[in-house]
Amino acid sequence: MSCSMAGEEDFVLEEKRFKQYCEEFIKRSQQIGDGWEWRTSKDLGDGYLSKTHYQVRNRKIPPDLKEKNHDNCEQMLCTHVEESLDDSQAAGVCATEVIHYEYHVLYSSSYRVPVLYFRACFLDGRPLTLDEIWKSVHACYQACLLEGPWDTITQQEHPILGQPFFVLHPCRTNEFISSVLSSSRKHDRHINYITLWLSTVGPVVGLNLPMSYAKLAPEQDTNDDSVERQRVEPHEAGRSAQAPSSAFGLGHLNTADLGVHKF
Amino acid sequence: MTDDKDVLRDVWFGRIPTCFTLYQDEVTEREAEPYYLLLPRISYLTLVTDKVKKHFQKVMRQEEVSEIWFEYEGTPLKWHYPIGLLFDLHASNTALPWSITVHFKNFPEKDLLHCHSKDVIEAHFMACIKEADALKHKSQVINEMQKKDHKQLWMGLQNDKFEQFWAINRKLMEYPPEDSGFRYIPFRIYQATTERPFIQKLFRPIASGGELHTLGDLLKDVCPSAITPEASGARLQTTEPQHICAAEVSVKATRSTNFLSDAGSL
Repeated sequence: MSCSMAGEEDFVLEEKRFKQYCEEFIKRSQQIGDGWEWRTSKDLGDGYLSKTHYQVRNRKIPPDLKEKNHDNCEQMLCTHVEESLDDSQAAGVCATEVIHYEYHVLYSSSYRVPVLYFRACFLDGRPLTLDEIWKSVHACYQACLLEGPWDTITQQEHPILGQPFFVLHPCRTNEFISSVLSSSRKHDRHINYITLWLSTVGPVVGLNLPMSYAKLAPEQDTNDDSVERQRVEPHEAGRSAQAPSSAFGLGHLNTADLGVHKF
Repeated sequence: MTDDKDVLRDVWFGRIPTCFTLYQDEVTEREAEPYYLLLPRISYLTLVTDKVKKHFQKVMRQEEVSEIWFEYEGTPLKWHYPIGLLFDLHASNTALPWSITVHFKNFPEKDLLHCHSKDVIEAHFMACIKEADALKHKSQVINEMQKKDHKQLWMGLQNDKFEQFWAINRKLMEYPPEDSGFRYIPFRIYQATTERPFIQKLFRPIASGGELHTLGDLLKDVCPSAITPEASGARLQTTEPQHICAAEVSVKATRSTNFLSDAGSL
């Protein structure tokens, strides 16, 4: 199935609808223990999705990250198996780093799409620099990112908390979302916008959605228990050797059909 | 819009006399004299303070100097806010010149965005312009422009070239004759007292009955707490020039009640 960009109706996500999708997403997250929660702002009643997680990575010192780009798309800084050191690197030291990631999903009324904000710091509190964030972007997205880093991930002020966060730019979201959503509507399937969107953009910045977010049956309100029993063991989508695929379960549609998009 | 050129120029050329003083704990080889500068209200701190940086670096050792940042009475100043906004928020009730403290160490990571180069400022500025056009024209005008037009906007701001800037910006301030205004008004309301940096909501310039909305309508709708009997006499310093022209709102507030539509036509 191919998804053409031209002629697809633009799907407009209203803020109310955004909140509903988030509510649904949170329920699912709670069922599978994925750790997302909703935070409401005290003053205006708007809010956002929030999740924290710790990423453990092994770093060679000094690291030469460029070499690893030619290999498969395995996340370069998350290897669990040490690659063999050649003689010139034998003198290097390996260190384990733990990075604390915080992800927020906010609604942009200007662009009518969700926006992914995140920040990362080492355990000693030192925040990662924009450069370190760019370097840790999944190898598969590096090409996109290099075309215009200023169009994709930058540091911005969090619109509710007022603190520095990194942001994945929302300008292009509607392009790929619309095409998938309109085809899903043709097949009368319920797609959670947040699950679709987050499973596509999240892996760019190290956020993976377990496959169990996928709905196995079109009617998901009833018999959630039976759906649970049938689900595949959750695994990090980003660990596969291919580009991370969308975790919402349309088996015949994968990211190859969506094409390569600048986020 | 051409009959408002005087207002456009007044806003563009607005200046704030500022005195920069080096933070007392910075390590210097000689005493650092304060540095005086007229800051453009519509620009950004890190864009217009190269001379300030040079001046203080002259009395410091290289190893003592890392990313510059500015502070007013203990509050780190967000370089990504327009200078006029920073002044209005923090120091408008104090005597001039505005006294800003300069730091080269202990960058406050939790408060300030980094600004390692002019590219960062340009990216921020262009992102604001684009978001404003998403509200005004569904991004049609900004997307139809060529890269060189975007560049001209930025260079106009960077080099303080009013005509160069407005040659492009006027296109962003037009709307088709059959429409009575922009799709939505790009605005942000800043208050020094809130954790939330600003209030930004969708707001149409025309009411359902066809009347033009006023600033009062906007405030009633998005920030009713700002309209109290005591506050009504206060000077309005409400908008961040997310798009340069939104700044005009505070200038024209005293002139007419229909200024929101005027702001749209500026």
